[in-house]
Amino acid sequence: MTNFIKDPVVMMAERNPDPVFSNDELVFSDQEKRLIERWKSQYPTVDGAIMRVLWLAQEKFGFLPPEVIRLTADEVGIPYANAYGVATFYTQYYKKKRGKHVLDVCTCFSCQVCGGYDILHYLESKLGIHVGETTDDGLFTLQEVECLGACGSAPMLQVTNGRYVMDLTHERVDALIDTLRKGKTPEFTSVTLPQDEDELGGNRRSDVKEFQASSPRPVSETVR
Amino acid sequence: MAKITIDKTIFEFEGDQPSLLQFCLDREIELPHFCYHPAMSAPANCRQCLVEIGNPERDRETGQIMVDEEGNEVIRFFPKLMTSCSENISDGLVVRTQRSSDLVRRAQKDNLEFLLINHPLDCPICDQAGHCPLQNQAYKYGPEGSRFEFRKVSKPKHIRLGPRVVLDAERCINCTRCTRFTSEISKSHQLTIVERSVKNYPMTPPGIEFDEPYSMNVIDICPVGALTSEDFRFKARVWEMSSTPSITTTNAKGSNCYYWVKDNRVLKITPRTNMNVNEFWLADDDRLDYERFNDDRPPGPTVDGEASSWEDGYARAAHILGNVDGNRIAFLGSAHASVEDNYLLARLAEKLGTAAPMYIEHVEVGSGDDWLRTDDRAPNASGCARLGFTVADADLFGPRLKGGEIDVLYVLEDDPVSTGLCTSDDLHGVSVILHHYNESNQTLPLATVSLPAATVVETVGTFVNIDGHAQRVRPAKAIRGVNRTLAMEIGRSRADQHGTPFDRWYNEENLINCQPGWVSVPGVANALGLDMPTTNPKAIMAELASTNSAFEGATYSAMGEYGIRLSEIGETV
Ligand code: SF4
Ligand code: FES
Ligand code: FES
Repeated sequence: MTNFIKDPVVMMAERNPDPVFSNDELVFSDQEKRLIERWKSQYPTVDGAIMRVLWLAQEKFGFLPPEVIRLTADEVGIPYANAYGVATFYTQYYKKKRGKHVLDVCTCFSCQVCGGYDILHYLESKLGIHVGETTDDGLFTLQEVECLGACGSAPMLQVTNGRYVMDLTHERVDALIDTLRKGKTPEFTSVTLPQDEDELGGNRRSDVKEFQASSPRPVSETVR
Repeated sequence: MAKITIDKTIFEFEGDQPSLLQFCLDREIELPHFCYHPAMSAPANCRQCLVEIGNPERDRETGQIMVDEEGNEVIRFFPKLMTSCSENISDGLVVRTQRSSDLVRRAQKDNLEFLLINHPLDCPICDQAGHCPLQNQAYKYGPEGSRFEFRKVSKPKHIRLGPRVVLDAERCINCTRCTRFTSEISKSHQLTIVERSVKNYPMTPPGIEFDEPYSMNVIDICPVGALTSEDFRFKARVWEMSSTPSITTTNAKGSNCYYWVKDNRVLKITPRTNMNVNEFWLADDDRLDYERFNDDRPPGPTVDGEASSWEDGYARAAHILGNVDGNRIAFLGSAHASVEDNYLLARLAEKLGTAAPMYIEHVEVGSGDDWLRTDDRAPNASGCARLGFTVADADLFGPRLKGGEIDVLYVLEDDPVSTGLCTSDDLHGVSVILHHYNESNQTLPLATVSLPAATVVETVGTFVNIDGHAQRVRPAKAIRGVNRTLAMEIGRSRADQHGTPFDRWYNEENLINCQPGWVSVPGVANALGLDMPTTNPKAIMAELASTNSAFEGATYSAMGEYGIRLSEIGETV
């Protein structure tokens, strides 16, 4: 967000981009179609299903160029313009091609104070890219995001709209990148909150393997 | 009866009611608002129409309305302000608007400050300035200044959304009226709001052009200058033009409109609300149909292709008509001309012992839709039919001309050659008397006498639309020469929302040397020595309304600004 505050310019999106996918590629399989039909029946009006179908399309095609958005709209049976409005509203829908792993580093208030930017800059130098860019090998895209609701375990990041990696340190970031490079998904580590430790005897989740007990939050280098 | 109290005034109501905002507006209680439009759903996203709303408090045990020591009902107000556009009214409701509540005044002011944070304030170069709801309401209800000290967000500017509509995204306040228009009213689904928060703006999705035939309606409903007309951009400021209520004539719907005139040139056409005809809307064709009023106009009457005076034109026409047998004359009325003009033509034909005029049909199959455009591309075919005129048949008409059955063809405001009723060859040896609007009229080169006719923006008259709705037109601009009826009508009908008296209308530029049919047809008749008083159109309609059942009740006062629905032909009332 920092750049946008200094230089608040909204660029015009391209109005007639060349399609990325051919017509042959732009199809849902029978199985996907059945799934879509089921979702459509779960809402009072079919519009409701568009978010799930966009999600499905993103998993299938990797990202959502206009022709894919149009495909989802046709499949759900709503106007293309409406689907496009929804797809551009949510930043989690990727309108441009991203790296295999998208690292969404939180730099919102709590994470910022606890070193969100330190983590971001560490990743920038480690991966050799700037925020918003993708590594040459197409593996990583680095992004800055607003609060992801895990402030208690700040600083944190999210991997490709999925796994949260919390309580970040340089070592943890190194380990994360190694794991991802090996093609593995990082194990989810539950970081407990102070009150869990103090009052609830740990309050461990029964569905998670890895735990880390709450510790005092770090303080950003810049704040220090 | 149910009652509602607004700023201490009690209003009674019965039955279903619109939203609180509309209820207030209908009673001339102004509430500032942007996103609400009476024809569309209310998303309540601009937050400008906030009011305080309360209900009488009831005793929990008895269910009785509680009263204080002075006997007044105790009102429990909602803790937060409510948007009046999305509020239904119910019995006993108590409302405080900005007229009586400091809280509401403060909220409206703060809301406007927010709306203006990223607004470019480029009113000096904005087409909307002068009739801009944001400008007006900021002036009336807004803060004196802004406390925002950062750079405003820059967004895409002068983007052609389609061939006729230009977007300036910085001015947009994201009310979504334009996108709701395309999804709820025109159903073209060509617009959506893209992106989010300070970055959002209305746009077509990639690969789509905003080219639907009703696209320009979003220009009027946009409460700021974000959407402007490609055609009209930067041509004139609103306060430099006068606007006249009238109807459009590209088809048989007779959509109600305003003609905007500067220096006797029509510069733009905008819709005028008439719930019986076009509601709030106007087709793009109708809006862009103004150049023919300004350009391509004849310099004056001609006789044998030479410029002549009006008197000489009338005299020559009379000479031609007076020297042939009545049944060797053919009269063509016109679906472009008013009922009055056609009626006078019928009177002339009758006096000469000629069969009733026929008229040319201008149907282009497929050019219409189920909404405001009809296949019939002329405004008054119904009027002609109600006068008893029949449609001229090209299969019969050409051969009759060619066969030498007709010596004189008298054409009122139409073009038999370009419409294919006959060919130029067919007219060989036929004397043609032609009332015409434009120089490009293809019958004009063959006319013995040509009499330039006043167009719909220069005359007074009545048109009957495809549904039998009879409506008046009023002169939006002056013609050359003096005509008391026209001058009076111009003065009476100018709904100048912005101008001052005695400007623009009467400058001498761009005046066209033409005459309304109700002047020139009697002109010819009188030159023939026939008794046809040069009467005014109002008197003609009064006569028709009382003598011809097809026009029963269609007097000028009854038609007023919104017209009246005539009964079906043949139906007795
Ligand atoms: S362009 Fe105008 S009508 Fe459309 S959302 Fe913006 S302010 Fe509203
Ligand atoms: S501020 Fe980073 S998760 Fe809330
Ligand atoms: S008019 Fe009520 S919120 Fe916009």
